[in-house]
Amino acid sequence: MTPFPILSLVIFLPALAALMLPLVRDDRAIRWFTLTALLLDFALASGLLLAFDSESAAMQFRESYDWVPALGIGYKLGVDGISVLFVFLTALLGWISVLASWSAIQTRVREFMISLLAIQSLMIGVFCALDLFLFYVLWEAMLVPMYLIIGIWGGDNRIYAAFKFFLYTLAGSLLFLIGILVLYFAGGRTFDMLALMGQPYAFPTQAWVFVAFLIAFAVKVPMVPLHTWLPDAHVQAPTAGSIILAGVLLKMGAYGFLRFSLPMLPDASVYFAPLMIALSALAIVYGGLLALAQSDIKKLIAYSSVSHMGFITLGLFTFNMNGLSGAVIQMFNHGITTGALFLFVGLIYERTHSRDIPAYGGLIKVVPLFGIAMAAFLLSSMALPGTNGFVGELLVIAGAFGSTGWAAGAAVVGALIGAAYLLGLYRQMLLGEVRLPEGAKMWDLNAREIACAVPLLVFVFWLGLYPKPVLTLLRATLEQLLAQVIGTGA
Amino acid sequence: MEDLLREYLPIVIFLGLAIAIGLVFIFAALIIAVRNPDPEKVSAYECGFNAFDDSRMKFDVRFYLVSILFIIFDLEIAFLFPWAVAFKDVGLLGFWSMIVFLGVLTVGFAYEWKKGALEWE
Amino acid sequence: MDTDLIAASVRASSPEIIVIIGACAALMLSLWPHQDQQKYLTWLSLITILLASAQTLQLSPRPVNIVETTYSGMFVVDAFATYFKMLLYLGTALTILMSGKFLQTEEAVKGEYYVLLLFALAGTMIMVSGADLLIIYIGLELQALSIYVLTGFLKTRGRSVEAALKYVILGAFSSGILLYGLSLIYGLTGSTQLGVLNSALATADLSEPMLILATVFLLVGLLFKIGAVPFHMWVPDIYEGAPTPITAYLSVASKTAAFAVLLRVFMGSLIGLEPLWSSGLAAIAVATMALGSLVALVQDNIKRLLAYSSISHVGFLLLGIIAGTTSGMSAILLYLLIYTFMTLGLFAIVILLHRDVRAGEPLTLFSGLAQSHAGLAFMAMIFLFSLAGIPPTGGFFAKFYVLVALIDAGHVTLAVIAVLLSAVAAWFYLRLIMLIYIQPAEPTTGSTAAPATGPTGHARAAILLSAPMRLVLLFSFSGTVLSGIFPAWFLAMARQASLSGLGN
Repeated sequence: MTPFPILSLVIFLPALAALMLPLVRDDRAIRWFTLTALLLDFALASGLLLAFDSESAAMQFRESYDWVPALGIGYKLGVDGISVLFVFLTALLGWISVLASWSAIQTRVREFMISLLAIQSLMIGVFCALDLFLFYVLWEAMLVPMYLIIGIWGGDNRIYAAFKFFLYTLAGSLLFLIGILVLYFAGGRTFDMLALMGQPYAFPTQAWVFVAFLIAFAVKVPMVPLHTWLPDAHVQAPTAGSIILAGVLLKMGAYGFLRFSLPMLPDASVYFAPLMIALSALAIVYGGLLALAQSDIKKLIAYSSVSHMGFITLGLFTFNMNGLSGAVIQMFNHGITTGALFLFVGLIYERTHSRDIPAYGGLIKVVPLFGIAMAAFLLSSMALPGTNGFVGELLVIAGAFGSTGWAAGAAVVGALIGAAYLLGLYRQMLLGEVRLPEGAKMWDLNAREIACAVPLLVFVFWLGLYPKPVLTLLRATLEQLLAQVIGTGA
Repeated sequence: MEDLLREYLPIVIFLGLAIAIGLVFIFAALIIAVRNPDPEKVSAYECGFNAFDDSRMKFDVRFYLVSILFIIFDLEIAFLFPWAVAFKDVGLLGFWSMIVFLGVLTVGFAYEWKKGALEWE
Repeated sequence: MDTDLIAASVRASSPEIIVIIGACAALMLSLWPHQDQQKYLTWLSLITILLASAQTLQLSPRPVNIVETTYSGMFVVDAFATYFKMLLYLGTALTILMSGKFLQTEEAVKGEYYVLLLFALAGTMIMVSGADLLIIYIGLELQALSIYVLTGFLKTRGRSVEAALKYVILGAFSSGILLYGLSLIYGLTGSTQLGVLNSALATADLSEPMLILATVFLLVGLLFKIGAVPFHMWVPDIYEGAPTPITAYLSVASKTAAFAVLLRVFMGSLIGLEPLWSSGLAAIAVATMALGSLVALVQDNIKRLLAYSSISHVGFLLLGIIAGTTSGMSAILLYLLIYTFMTLGLFAIVILLHRDVRAGEPLTLFSGLAQSHAGLAFMAMIFLFSLAGIPPTGGFFAKFYVLVALIDAGHVTLAVIAVLLSAVAAWFYLRLIMLIYIQPAEPTTGSTAAPATGPTGHARAAILLSAPMRLVLLFSFSGTVLSGIFPAWFLAMARQASLSGLGN
């Protein structure tokens, strides 16, 4: 236990800012205030990352207080190599989202920023929670601000998309809750995750709980066939909403698998692994094919997310070091790259009010900086060597060859399909003759937009060329996880 | 079974008698009654109802109020009589219980009075 | 006659006596019209309730597991009754506070309103303290008769009168059924006292048809009072027609008292008959949740919608009885407390938005609230999310604890059904939130589209928040939020009340 509750501070700083926001006077001040709060939070999260001891697999910066002692519920926080990475990612995307909505959000700015700050708090909290009840509360509370962000500031069909998003996730989450309660009683009436991890559960219990968890996480990831809410939500959400949704919320599902399904239910994980691998392979190929058929940029990226998230779940269930670390790196990458792509779609939409791919052409000649940066992100998304995407996908595919050969083949096919639609998008929009939608007012990236793009670009190339720091960060944690699954399972 | 039925015998006799007497009175009125209507007899009652009229007629809601008032005093008497008879045995506790009861009744009565239930016009 | 015994009995029932004296005083006060009469009556009622609650707390058993039985075993004071009484005080006091404005808008300010509410409170208090089926019945009728009148209180409004008439007829019908079950129980055991019933039924032959009939009648009578499917048909009509504060009272206090009786009778005395009623009750609970949630989807009147929502909450509450354990019982107790907070809060907002009973309460009443009254809109959103059971509000913890009890008792399938149905129920709460935050307010006339901000073109005049209304909102809002974020304290109260036994 540390004397200074740094994790609580990282979690509650945005929430405190949200509480103070009603006192801030005008929209301009609100934007600056939110940005400052989130930059501060980002600084704290970076400090956390630097102070983290990557040699140890244990939970660090732990805090533990009683909350509802009668039911064995505690306020328990702590981070390991995986969660500290995602706390960092969340904090990074937080302030980028504020910058991305600087001029895009003009109505009800105050409410928007409150929602944004609230969801930041909740997401960081989810990654730090070491108590299942706390985790669940934060996990489900996250729906509320996201629902509002999509529903209030979204596109024309926003109400439908917001409802679909909320109800899909809610139904899944509630099953998750039942699963948690079953574990609670099987594990001796405690919600402490670490205590629940160390226990052998009977196989039937494991299997049922695994199915309940699977539905909840599969909705969040999303895995085919529970992915249909995603394109609607992404297309309708405002840019900041899309960034958070793609960058962090989707990771929650995969994080759930990592944190609960694998270590707590090892036997069931091994038992269901073929199914998971099959679903992942299906998602990779099917998501890719769907993306190939889209003419709406946001939809294309949304379906590409389905495909990329397939790589992650594939990596998780290979049960070897390559697959697991590839999956976690891919989670991080996907957050950076897809977040960036949605950001860029938002930027272009602000200029042209069109998301129709065929309406564009030769952008690199009109807005060179924009074009170059977007090209970099597209290449990262298709996993070109030298970018971050390559490291993740390579490790996942290597892991998959180590466990299920045909799934690795499917992943390679998926990667090829990915290259096809992303290159298609690249060629259509950025190269060729200059073509713009009617009424477009073009300007190249301004200082604010550059400020959003640069940190993301840095991560794209840094992780692509020198992924070792992240791999070191993860190694101890993943080794322990692997021991938990293979040690007691198989 | 026989015993059980025998226990109900008084009730059957009672029922039979009641029906018989009821019928006797109805038919007696038809057969031996003297019928000579005069203007006083067929004119309206003091309360304003016709002597011979449809029984399903509207009448003033104030009749209800009066009957509710009646219930108050009716109840009061129903409790007061046995209380008075047993007054020696119930003691001080019994006395105060009745006073409380009368107090509650008085509240209701005062309410009706103030609301004008006692005024006909 | 032992005077000490009588004195002990009077002392045990002193909260009820205080409330009745307060009601009589209010009745007298109402007779002399005065321009500040409403204010005086409100204060008098609140002081009465405050005194009664102080007395209840003073009488509350220490240590908690002591059960004091008085009036020859017909009346108990135990932790269970104390908890419920406090809950009823809360519900009634908040109802009284929110009534002032409504009565003024409706021009129906009359002293009897407060008197009847106090009598209803006395009735519910007797219900929760009754240890004899007849005493419970008397309390029930005292409460019901007062509420019948209050339902029809707006006597110039057709809907209100119609609702009152329906309520009288159906209420009398259900009371009749209850009474019939009660007399059958008496015939079988020779007693109506819960304590005696408990031992008499312990050895009863469960296949006896009369016993089954009696149990069914008793259960049906009580299910009628709480509005469980298939005995729910009165709920929407009466909720819609009744004056809005009375609707709030109906959905909170009346239901709370009926649940207290249900718990005391079925989990106390008739627990021996559990095989007779548990599976039927499970089916009823599921049907209640399903019907409430599904039918609420198509409602366009806010009060009808809340009526169906309350039906679906009743279904969820019944699950606690099905769990059949003390934790199931404390789950119900906790749920009722949190339900009181969130429901009364939402009703207070409905009253604030209410303009004219003739216009009804269409859902569009809520539209655009976020633009004109951000604070109120935020509160409404929290209440709605709480009703939907989304963390970190109290509504979530209430549902969570019911699920804990249910799964502890091994009913995992029921729990899965329950959560899926509550996901369905979330839909209509979300719909209201959408109205609040997305739809612009309806223009007063068919004028052109209203501007996004500013009061012009809006149907809604500025809402004046009177001090009592602020108090109601403050109480219900902080209750809803605190019970979600710091549930431990609320949970401890509910557990203490239910772990102390049922007084027989």
